[in-house]
This record gives sequence, structure tokens and C-alpha cells, in this order.
Amino acid sequence: MKKSIVTIACAFAIILFAVAGKNLYSCEIPIHNRGIRDAIATGDLDVLLIGSSTFRCNIDMREMDETFQGRAYDISYGGNQLAAASIQYDELKRRSKNHYGLMVFELGPMMLTEDIAISDSRVIWDLSFEGKKALWKKMKEGGNAGLPLTFEYFVTSGMDDLLTFPVTEPFYATRYYKGVKTEATPSPGRTVLENEAFDLSDARPVEAQIDALKEIIEKCRADGQPFVFVESPVYHRLEEDPAYRKYRKEFIRILKESGADFILAKDVDFDCHEASYFEDMNHMSEEGRKLYTRLLAPLLSKRL
Amino acid sequence: MSLISLKFILFMATLLILYYRVPERFQWQVLLLGSLCFYAFAGPHFLIFLGISILSTFFLMRNPTKPRLLLVFAISLGLLIFFRYSIYFGMKSIAVPLGISFYTFMTLGYALDCYDKKITPCESLPRYALFISYFPQITQGPIGTYKAMSKELSARHPFDPESIKAGGYRVLIGWFKKLVIAGRLSFYVDTVFSNPEGYGGLTLITATFFYAFELYADFSGYMDIACGISQMLGIKLSENFNRPYFSRNIPEYWRRWHITLNEWFSAHLFMPAVTSKWNKKAANGMHKLFPFAKKGTLRMILPLILVWITTGIWHGAEAVYIGWGVYFAIIMLLSFCTQSMVRSFSEKNGWNPEHPLARIFQVVRTFLIVCTGEVMFRAESMKDAFSIYRSIFTKTRLNASSIAEALVPFGNGNQAAASVLILSALLFGLFFVEFRKEQDPKAFTCHRYLYAGVFLVLTALLGSPGQSSFMYQAF
Repeated sequence: MKKSIVTIACAFAIILFAVAGKNLYSCEIPIHNRGIRDAIATGDLDVLLIGSSTFRCNIDMREMDETFQGRAYDISYGGNQLAAASIQYDELKRRSKNHYGLMVFELGPMMLTEDIAISDSRVIWDLSFEGKKALWKKMKEGGNAGLPLTFEYFVTSGMDDLLTFPVTEPFYATRYYKGVKTEATPSPGRTVLENEAFDLSDARPVEAQIDALKEIIEKCRADGQPFVFVESPVYHRLEEDPAYRKYRKEFIRILKESGADFILAKDVDFDCHEASYFEDMNHMSEEGRKLYTRLLAPLLSKRL
Repeated sequence: MSLISLKFILFMATLLILYYRVPERFQWQVLLLGSLCFYAFAGPHFLIFLGISILSTFFLMRNPTKPRLLLVFAISLGLLIFFRYSIYFGMKSIAVPLGISFYTFMTLGYALDCYDKKITPCESLPRYALFISYFPQITQGPIGTYKAMSKELSARHPFDPESIKAGGYRVLIGWFKKLVIAGRLSFYVDTVFSNPEGYGGLTLITATFFYAFELYADFSGYMDIACGISQMLGIKLSENFNRPYFSRNIPEYWRRWHITLNEWFSAHLFMPAVTSKWNKKAANGMHKLFPFAKKGTLRMILPLILVWITTGIWHGAEAVYIGWGVYFAIIMLLSFCTQSMVRSFSEKNGWNPEHPLARIFQVVRTFLIVCTGEVMFRAESMKDAFSIYRSIFTKTRLNASSIAEALVPFGNGNQAAASVLILSALLFGLFFVEFRKEQDPKAFTCHRYLYAGVFLVLTALLGSPGQSSFMYQAF
């Protein structure tokens, strides 16, 4: 029995050590070309974008470099939510004294309808323990924190990345540039895009996300941080969807009420019917991304 | 109550304390109470149907006659058909009682054994109820026989720390297989099989292989947990797996995969069918058509088809399961028919089937045949299954973009490489352990504490916490 107890105790000690290491110190491990820590390490910036894979796919950082002389960075995580963006903002302010000329947040209408959840394990991997706790609190408030999810959040999420870091990091680092992917993504063609299934009919507003949106605006105001919300153009079928339109209207209403600055998709001269510009409903192809960034950059530059 | 939930750990801890605290003569009553409580967690009303099965079989088989046996079949199969298959007759979908396919086969097996006088009918209703409802086996088997189980369940089991440790170790292995290996593979498999037309051949091949490992890790993981729990209670359950992916031919594979179900079919369907009059007549008829074929082989044909179609239907009345059954019926028939031909051909050419290379070839060939059949088993429809076969043969390319596409279902690009590395290491580990055990069944029995610690750490750090149900629970 003594041996069994020793085995269990040793196993728990190793588990505790690995979990604590991941939760407390993973944000200190140097990671290149993506995420909060690399953005902080880059120093002062003219433009810092915080968003989801939509920003990651729809912004071409080489194009941004031409306008901002390399002083732009994109922090984007898969399915990044408004609640997470709010925590990421806190994290940036807490962990550095960097100056950001303009912070660009995503105006993604459907972001208002997402339950607070772990959309990308990288979010947890990049946040400090304080940030993790804050995001966890939001998940709990949103009623989305059962035992399996708690376990995933604090124990398993990002563990693969931590264990394989020495091998995978050099590989990942080559695939990103200032937070966005470098690989070319072709359009699948009009037929695919015209037939791709999507259904937003079940979408319902999530109060916690609406609160997070208001929180971002309030925080930026309080810190004197210039900011703007940007709506990326989406393929016309998504743009014409009644639910999409409804939540865009709602998003804009909140921004207008708060007096926040925003740039809509229609403010840039971008053809949402052109299939070659899109990889899917809301992610652009290489061609679309280059053109869109070229059109967006001057509008951002004006706000500096 | 899932066997991988916190609720179950608490249930098990309470049961263990009670089981070893009460006088040994009352242990089986504690087990019966525990089993009924466990079953009631799935839905107290399901106890009614379990009760009907138990009561009808028990009372009717006290004096086993043919009409009584037929009545047992009508009641037990009637319930099974009503719950499992009524949907195929246009009725509304209804909640299926937990483990109904498994306990129905146990009751039928008991009834047949009583009728054939292989066993003496049980005299105590509570003891019979325990045999059917014994909680580690009721949800997914193993499908135990009364002959083997009755002694185990009624014997007195003094507290034995060694059984607790060995059982606990086996439970850990089961958790590891289910939460770490099956859980990780399921993510990839579910993504690909839910939209097979969206992927190329290489991704579909990968998903098919992964599914084979997922099914094994999930099902054998459950069996490890069930057997481990039982071992902690001092009760030995029948084994359901014996490293099936190291089989060298399909008949051997089916002797090593889901052993108790196949033994059930063999004892209660295949053998009676082989020796039946109608089969003899049919075999004689076939012999007139094919005089060169051996009569013994011809007598296998119809029973094999019958068994495999029934096995398919046991899993569900969907075309995919029937197709899967027919596929294995054909493979088994081919295997029987060509066995002697292959043997004499090998002897003539001086090929040694025991040569390591020949053995590797046989194992790989068997695995590929199994995987081909598993595509039907996993696909959501026959249309999907054929689409997968077509894509595998026409859309498989081995180039950089195909390899990159095969990584997509691992998650978003951020996690793909890390997932691939971890999964490769885990699958290699699983293969290595199984390979060593195939060579030496006693391998990994020493340093058990070290392995237990490793399993505990890996399950905690790399497991998929969202997993709650096992694949075979659906049957």
C-alpha cells in the first residue's frame, strides 16, 4: 500500500509541476512571429490589431508594412472573442509600457452571439496567470465552466504545445509574420462559395459578449488609448444573411451609442461578390487580403 | 453514469467500502444493490424493462421446455426489437434502455443453456438478477455466460490488497486508452467522417486507420475499466480482446476481437446452424452444383452468412451495418475456401508462413482488410462509405499539399504539428506495448508502479476531458 501511495503522490507532484509551469510561466517562453508576447517584444507600434482568424486571414502584414514602415502587428487567435480581446487588452497594458498609436478591434457581428469559451488554446498559452483567471471568471459568469471545461482550461489546454515546444516552435515561427500566416491561400472558386453551407438562424445575443464590447470601449477611453473597430468584408452570401445583418446593426448601435469609431466593410471599395477574393465566407484568399489591406491601411493611417 | 466520470469514482469508492465492510456472505447483495443503483442512474424507468427480461427468463426457464424457450425469445427479442429497431419501421425515436443489446444476449444465452441442459437453472431470483445486471458488464459487455459468472458472483471475496492494486492498474490503463488515445483520435475521425467528400484520399486513409485504433482504444479501454473494477471486487470477467490487430488472418481476428459476442454467436447460432437439417439439405444441393467443392466447406456457407448478417443487425439495422456484416461474411467464406489452396501453394513453392516477413505481411494484410470493412462501420451512410472508397482509390496523392491537407483535421494550424507529434508518440507507445505483449504476455508486469504513475500523469496531462460516453454504448 505504501508503494501505491508513493506512486500516486509522485504522479500528482509531476502533474502539479507541469500544470503550474504551464499556467504560471508559459507566457514567458519566447515565441516568435505571433501572439501577445511577440507583440510586446516588438515594442512601440503605430497599429496593433486584435481579432480572430478573420483578421489573421484578411490582413496582409507586408502591405501594412508599406504604409506603417513596419510598425504594425496583428494579434489574432482562432475564434477570438470580444471577452478574450478585452482580457488581451489588459494583458498588453499590464505587461508592457509600449505605446500603441491605434488599436484596431474586430467588428465581427456574430461575435456578439458566441458563448464564452476556449476558442484557441493559444489564448490560454499566451495569457499570464492573472489573465487566465480573468478569462476564466468571464467563462464562469457566462455559465460555461463545468468540471470538464475547468480541467481543459487549467490542465490540458496548451499542454501539447508546451511539451513539444522545442520541436514545433521553429516550424511554427516560419509560418507567421507579425501575427499573420504567410502561406498562400487560394480561393476554392465561385461554385464552392455559392454552395457552402452555413446556418446562423440559431444565433442568439450573449450578454457577456455585449458587456465585453462595452468594457473594451470604456478601458480604451480610460487609458486614453486611440482605437477603432473594423468590419472585414465577407462574401456577399454571408453579408446578405438576415441574422448577420441583424447583429451587425446591433454591434453598430452599441458603437454609436458609446461614440466609438468604426470602419465598415462598405467604407472600403471592396467587391464582396468577387469569389477569387475569398477562401470561405469570411476568410479572404491571398488576392483578396492584399487588396483589402491596401484599401484599409490609408483609413487607419488617417486616424493616427 | 459514465465509467470515466467523477460521479462513478465516488460510487465505486462507496461500493468498495461497503463491499469489504459487510460480512462476506452479504457481498453479493451489496453488488446487486449497487448494480441496480448504477442502472437506475441511466433512468429509473429502464429498470422496468430490465426487470421484465430478468423475471421472464428466470421464471420461464425454471422448467425449460421448447414453448417456454420460444416465449423467452419472444419477450426478450421483442423488447430489443421494439427499442432498437422500431425506428426502422417508421416509429418515433425512443430512448433505448442502457445495455439492452448486451443483457438481452445474456438472458437468451442463459435460456438456451438451460434448454440444452448445459447448466442447471438458477434457483435464486436475486442471484440471477445480479448475473444479468452486474454493473461493470451491463452497458457494453463482456457478454458473460451463467456457467462462468455464477460461481464468481456468489463466491465470498475477502479483501485482497493485490486485487485492488491490480484492478486499479487496469482501470488506469483503460482510462488512458479511452481519454488519451481514443479521445484524441476521435477528434480527427469525427471531423473527416462527418464530411468525407471534403477530403482527399490521404486524409481519408489516415482517418480510416485512426478509426481502427480509436475503436480499439475505446472498446478495449472500456473492457480494461470493467475488468479492472471487477478485479477490485475479486470477480473475474471474461476477456473481450486479445491484441486483435496482430491477427494473421480474418478468422483469427474474430477470435481476438469482441470475443464474448463472437463466442455467443458461435455457440448459439453458428454451430446449431451448421448441424441443422436445413443446412445439410442446402449443402447437398450446392454440392450438386459444385461437385468439386468439399461438403464440409459448403456446410459453412449459409451459417456464416447468417451469423454475419445477424452480427451486422445486432449493431443496428442501418445499411452500413448490414453491408459490414455481408463484407465480413464474404471475407470469412473466401478465407475458408482458399485456406487449403494457399497452404498447398505455399508448400509447393517452399514458402514458410512462419518466416518473420511472412508474418508481418499476414498481419498487415489482415489489418488492411479489417480497415476496409470499418469504413462501412463508421460511415454515416452507404453513400458516404462508397464515396470514401472512391476517393481513396482515385484521389490519393502523396505530395506536400496532400500531406498538409491531412493535417487540417488535427485542429487549426497552430496546433496541428504539436498534435501530430503527441499522437504519433502515443500510437507508437501503444503499438510497442501491444507488440511486446504479443511476444511475451508477461511483459510490463514488473515495474507496475512506474507504469501506473506514467499512465496517471499522461492521462491527466494529455487526456480529453470532454469524453463521457463509449462508442459501443450506442449498441
